[in-house]
Amino acid sequence: MIIEVLYPSLANLYGETTAIAYLRQCLPQAEIIPTEINEEPAFVTKPVNMVFLGGMTENTQELVLEKLLPYKKHIQDVIERQIVFLALSNAMELFGEYIEKEDGTKIQALGLFPTYAKRHMDVRYNSLVLGQMEGFKLLGFKSQFSDSYGDNSQNYLFQVLRGSGLNPGSKLEGLRRHNFMATYLLGPMLVLNPAFTKYILKLLGAEVEQLPYEASLQEAFNRRLAEFEDQNTRY
Amino acid sequence: MKKTWRFRLAMLIGKMAMFAQKVLGMNATYFPGKLAIRICPDFLGQIEKPPMVIGVTGTNGKTTCANLIGNILVDQGYDVISNKMGSNINAGIASTLISGSSITGKAKHAVAVLEIDERSSRKIYSYIQPQWVLCTNLFRDTVTREAHPEFVFQLISESLPAETKLVLNADDLISSRLAPNNDRVYYSIERMPSDTEVCENIVNDMRLCPVCHEPLHFEYVRHHHIGKAHCEHCGFASPASQYEAAVDMASGVMTLEGTTYPLMGDSVFNAYNILAVVVLLREFGLSGKKISASLQKTQIVKSRYSSEVIDGVEVVTHMAKGKNAIACSCVFDYVRKEPGSKEIVLILDDYFDRKNSSENTCWYYDTDFEFLADPSIKRIIVGGVRAWDLKVRLLIAGVSEESIICTPSEADTPSLVQLDADRIFILHELYLTGAAMTVRNQIADRLRAGERQKKGEMPHDH
Ligand SMILES: [Zn+2]
Repeated sequence: MIIEVLYPSLANLYGETTAIAYLRQCLPQAEIIPTEINEEPAFVTKPVNMVFLGGMTENTQELVLEKLLPYKKHIQDVIERQIVFLALSNAMELFGEYIEKEDGTKIQALGLFPTYAKRHMDVRYNSLVLGQMEGFKLLGFKSQFSDSYGDNSQNYLFQVLRGSGLNPGSKLEGLRRHNFMATYLLGPMLVLNPAFTKYILKLLGAEVEQLPYEASLQEAFNRRLAEFEDQNTRY
Repeated sequence: MKKTWRFRLAMLIGKMAMFAQKVLGMNATYFPGKLAIRICPDFLGQIEKPPMVIGVTGTNGKTTCANLIGNILVDQGYDVISNKMGSNINAGIASTLISGSSITGKAKHAVAVLEIDERSSRKIYSYIQPQWVLCTNLFRDTVTREAHPEFVFQLISESLPAETKLVLNADDLISSRLAPNNDRVYYSIERMPSDTEVCENIVNDMRLCPVCHEPLHFEYVRHHHIGKAHCEHCGFASPASQYEAAVDMASGVMTLEGTTYPLMGDSVFNAYNILAVVVLLREFGLSGKKISASLQKTQIVKSRYSSEVIDGVEVVTHMAKGKNAIACSCVFDYVRKEPGSKEIVLILDDYFDRKNSSENTCWYYDTDFEFLADPSIKRIIVGGVRAWDLKVRLLIAGVSEESIICTPSEADTPSLVQLDADRIFILHELYLTGAAMTVRNQIADRLRAGERQKKGEMPHDH
């Protein structure tokens, strides 16, 4: 089992480093390959089982796009071969058509999904999100300087029950194609959602009876879910 | 500058609001300035500033530094106004300047020492051009507000007036690169025994060279991205420092340019604060001898820390600023390095979120809870609505399940302490200081009542 973590020194703004540490505890036999920004991604030459990309600064988004655009075909191939790919927070925006800055200029993105992002650096959008995905509830946090637009009705990741999806007017969150999954939710979503982590492990063919500390994860999830479902909770 | 009628009205209303708040016994820290700016949007531009303005900004330490600078200047006989009682955003600074002005808008003081919120940089520096700005450091902070250091860095860098002289920390590879065209001096601390070869923290936002993105080579790391580094690929390096201090933690002194200064605390954070204050005041024109003499007379506000030995057990309260991974990591590092066995009470809930929302806990995962997986720590009692999230984080960090005790309210933590360790640390969020003091007092009462002996625990020296 090989898990590639793309750009861990840069794409780690929202707790991703510890999320990966937890994934490592879930899959002690897995080899984790960290790929730095000036290196060629491992998925280009190696048979990887999973690729992970976390949240980054706005400048880093441009740098990462510069590095990944030459590998667009390889990324398409990774997706078509049903390899697990998880892109969190603003990493999702790299897979749409473009990112529009406030001055109207557009940064070309990978163009793998018919969506685009718009930045608003003066407004930090913060929200809780409660979602429903294939038989389990998902919860998480958003904290971002941008929203996404365009049609994800054919390839969203989960339905939003409370909070918002791609943008404040949307109830469909994230992007999904085969085992490629992207969402604005921040880094600790794996730890916050034991059901989602189990789902990922199943996709990796590494299904487990029990996650590490699962009872504690589940208790934390249940308590958090009660807060998220409380009508008095401010989102 | 010709003053507009809007300005005159804003000043009048601001003064009246300030008077009314004083009559009502309220701290006039924010509201009068907010009103004034609403009436006259460029109020900060039109109001006369004292002839000398010192700005203090940065993620951590700005309040301590601004207070010390103000105290020392007052001790040296300067007529100083500061926003130490007020807020550090534009409205707070407007309130400060209103209280320091005559009704016609004339400044009554010689020096202003202004603590400046990083996020308010644009709204403040557009109207106020300090002669000096001290930036203590730039770190990750609250993600919902400060987002990430690069965002704050750009905001400050783009807003700073061109004429302002910067006082910067050469050991901070982020803030040392602020506004490269501005005149500046750098300070640094010589290599310390506690420095490491590799970063022990989860977060280091300078792992890569900012120019060529190759891995940076750290000669030493103090904590997070603080240290000395260079790029072997392109030559980028930590800036040369004009004020290099030697710090002796054991004897609590710092030496700079042959003068000795008291450190007033035993953390690296604190040493940097003292150094920053000294360098700013040296640039202001005070001699080292005078600064040192005034420092000896000054006290750092102790609300962030308390310690008392009761029945052989040291009970410590220590602020661990919530939603701030860097500050909490440094506190955890401090606790693990203290001698003896320990029990820890963690009170880290966000006070506001738990009233009406659900706290974004991303910051737990950037915080080095791994430091608490230390053999000297016998037990961690977690109190608050997020206790179970913290338990998960502690388990991932390698803390054994048996040593973690959760309770939904911090009020229940005193009874869960076993009194079987040399030290009890109560680590608490800023807004839960009151709750933490209650916890402390109840633990102290148990110790005073001799519960330790009743349990068969013999007190011993440490
Ligand atoms: Zn370089």
